[in-house]
Amino acid sequence: MISRRTGLLVLPGLALLLAGFLVPSAAMLLAPPGVSPADILARLGQMLTDPYDLTIIWRTVRLGLIVTLICLVLGFPIAYLLARSTSRWSGVLLALAIFPLLLSNVVRTFGWLVVLGSNGAIGQLLLALGLVDQAPQLLYTELAIVLGLTQLFLPLAIISCYSAVAQVDPGLDDAARGLGASRTRTFWGIVAPLSGPGIVVAATLVFAGSATAYTTPYLLGGSSQRMLSTQLFSYSSVSIDWAAASATALIMTVLVFVVSGLSSLAARRGRTS
Amino acid sequence: MNTRRPVAATLAVAGYVIMIVPILFVVATSFTGGSTLRFPPEGLSLRWFDAAVHHTPFITAMVSSLQLAALATVLALLLGIPATLAIHRGRLPGKGLVEGLFLSPLIVPELVVGLALFQQLMIGLRLDNFTVLLIGHTVLMLPYAVRVTGASLALADPFVEEAARGLGASPLRTFFTVTLPLLRPGIFSAALLSFVTSFNNVPLSLLLQSRDFRTLPVTMLDYVQQSYDPMVAATSTIILAGTVLVAVVAERTVGFARIFGGINR
Amino acid sequence: MTVAAQFQQVTQRFGDFTAVDAIDLTIPAGKLTTLLGPSGCGKTTSLRMLAGYSTPTSGRILIDGVDSTRTPPERRGLGMVFQSYALFPHLTVAENVGYGLKLRKMPAAERTRVVAETLDLVGLGHLAGSRPKKLSGGQQQRVALARAIAIRPKLLLLDEPLSNLDARLRVHMRAELRRIQAETGLTVVLVTHDQDEALELSDQMVVMREGRILQQGAPIDVFPAPANRLVAEFLGYENFVTSADGTLRTVRPEHLQVLGQERRADGLTLEGVVVDVAFRGVDRLVTVDADDSLGRTVRLTADVRDGAVTARPGDRVVLGADQAHVVTLAG
Repeated sequence: MISRRTGLLVLPGLALLLAGFLVPSAAMLLAPPGVSPADILARLGQMLTDPYDLTIIWRTVRLGLIVTLICLVLGFPIAYLLARSTSRWSGVLLALAIFPLLLSNVVRTFGWLVVLGSNGAIGQLLLALGLVDQAPQLLYTELAIVLGLTQLFLPLAIISCYSAVAQVDPGLDDAARGLGASRTRTFWGIVAPLSGPGIVVAATLVFAGSATAYTTPYLLGGSSQRMLSTQLFSYSSVSIDWAAASATALIMTVLVFVVSGLSSLAARRGRTS
Repeated sequence: MNTRRPVAATLAVAGYVIMIVPILFVVATSFTGGSTLRFPPEGLSLRWFDAAVHHTPFITAMVSSLQLAALATVLALLLGIPATLAIHRGRLPGKGLVEGLFLSPLIVPELVVGLALFQQLMIGLRLDNFTVLLIGHTVLMLPYAVRVTGASLALADPFVEEAARGLGASPLRTFFTVTLPLLRPGIFSAALLSFVTSFNNVPLSLLLQSRDFRTLPVTMLDYVQQSYDPMVAATSTIILAGTVLVAVVAERTVGFARIFGGINR
Repeated sequence: MTVAAQFQQVTQRFGDFTAVDAIDLTIPAGKLTTLLGPSGCGKTTSLRMLAGYSTPTSGRILIDGVDSTRTPPERRGLGMVFQSYALFPHLTVAENVGYGLKLRKMPAAERTRVVAETLDLVGLGHLAGSRPKKLSGGQQQRVALARAIAIRPKLLLLDEPLSNLDARLRVHMRAELRRIQAETGLTVVLVTHDQDEALELSDQMVVMREGRILQQGAPIDVFPAPANRLVAEFLGYENFVTSADGTLRTVRPEHLQVLGQERRADGLTLEGVVVDVAFRGVDRLVTVDADDSLGRTVRLTADVRDGAVTARPGDRVVLGADQAHVVTLAG
């Protein structure tokens, strides 16, 4: 303890959090200007029953889950190989995977415009190979959004899985192999379960990010493939429909909280078993 | 090693392709001599770099982004470091709850935060957009300021401050001569992460923009809506080059991967 | 005897838990006082209250006759060595040792001289420019010691200073501590759970348990005459025997003997069956199942060269101790 009054040092930061985040967020979600909570609830009910809105919600959840799955399937092997690697390239490769996090989503997603557009790399390639008559428009599709989000969140998945695998004692692998377990058996029986909590963290981060990302669905999905985030922006800046904005924000926030909560539970259960 | 696990290696390669290839395409396209995003590019030229560097909206936006990021980083550290001290070295009731509060901006979707500030502070309280942007960015960076510096503190012997007090140092003296030096790597990491996060931020900066003050990512996004030419690619490549520099500095001083390890528990 | 510090009815409570229960303690000047006891007995809490890192719930702490109960640590003028040493990692050894002197505005030249002298005192003169993380545990401990001594403190407080060291180093450092205390004449208060350490180092031993002082005094007075069973157990006494009239007596394994044909001892006599004989190099440890209503096991050590002890497991033996070695306990 530095001094008896060190605890007071938390106050300025807390003040900003309250005034600049917690209070405005609560006010916006529950009582925006000119809108009563009843209005919000009504609009919320509308959204949860209207087919158009439901399509958007379902698309958000669905794409989120798909991206999460892909990120785990691709990210865990990368994390595992890097964590267990003894080669000097593993540090470089890890840095290469993490580095994109330092770039803006605009920069990272823009590349897909080049790759997927009708004038883009894939289109031109397929055309050149004679597989198609006309370069296909791969942009503004769900595939494009999935690819873009996967690119965005794969580094996060790798980081989480890496810390998880790095904490599993490699000596356990040796012990299991010494007792006669095959490499596959060792992996599924020992490394995978012990990395469990880290994988859950990875999944949560990826899903939460995918379900709430804006730039990528906006650039790659256009107006035909709307997600909750692009909808929210539209209500906030274009149509200025506060009730709808709050309702959408509520749905997004609840979605993320529920997933976080479920994963905490899963992590805790995994720890006790 | 890679050849012994063909399945894992294949998946790994696929992952890297998805992460890296689009960025490579951006860089490649920025050197095109043509005026579309067509690939392969038509000829090689630096004309788009020239255009990007002379495009006033981009320049203005770049300066705005740097100003905002710098200011918000300083603010986040000025508020976050005392908070870390309070949490890890002070007597605080409900320490876990307080730390959770400081990390909460990470869980709420940025767009939601942006909307809240736009609606309540900018429209409701009629604060100017720079102030609200500053508040929003600082709030978003507080979790890094608190968590990353907290990791530094946790590594240090908790009794060094008591040792300094016992030797005759006042609480303030102790902070400047013992605690702050111990926090240095954490502060540097937090500053780096915060600056980059602010510079790259889209949702908040998008909702809180005004004609007089816009950040670079927002301006680029806007540009892409209107014209599909490689100038955005060139600007992106310039930003990429700058970021590589930052990453190298980070690696030399603190260790690149460790910075990110700090926020992911 | 000059009094360096005093505890007057000092109590420390944390919620429902009483760590220190109304203790009265006098720390004599120029001497080494040890607070000895098992973990949780309140010895470290007491030390920290003396240093000023926590305030007693009630009671007074006097330093040099002045009520310092609420004085902050930086104004008490004491020197403390922490169990983890708490060296400043970003400063060199010399800067660590000179930290307190710099705070006291000592001019640089004089500071260098005092730092060099203090480092020589602890035997580390050659490491002045090194960083703490390059030093071994024993060296770090001596830097921590030098740092506390350099400011010429009123009291030198040591919190389990030797417990992180390996056995051989610990023995060596005990002698070092005695030497340093003798050379500087400092008043030292040392906290430990190791009774050998306390016996070897103390001028005054204070045995604590569950927040209270069980017994205090010079080792030579305390050791042969523990006041009660708790103190006796802590000091390594075994073989507790309750006689017919209810008195509890104890005798150390070193003083219990296997009686030969004479079968006479004026202090205590026991009969039993040998369970185990272990050779320990300097002696043999004999475990005997005593003929006692409780079937107690009793241990004694026997000199290896003692021909009388050819006892083997299963033998029936008679054990005895002289009156001089039998301690009667209060309970």
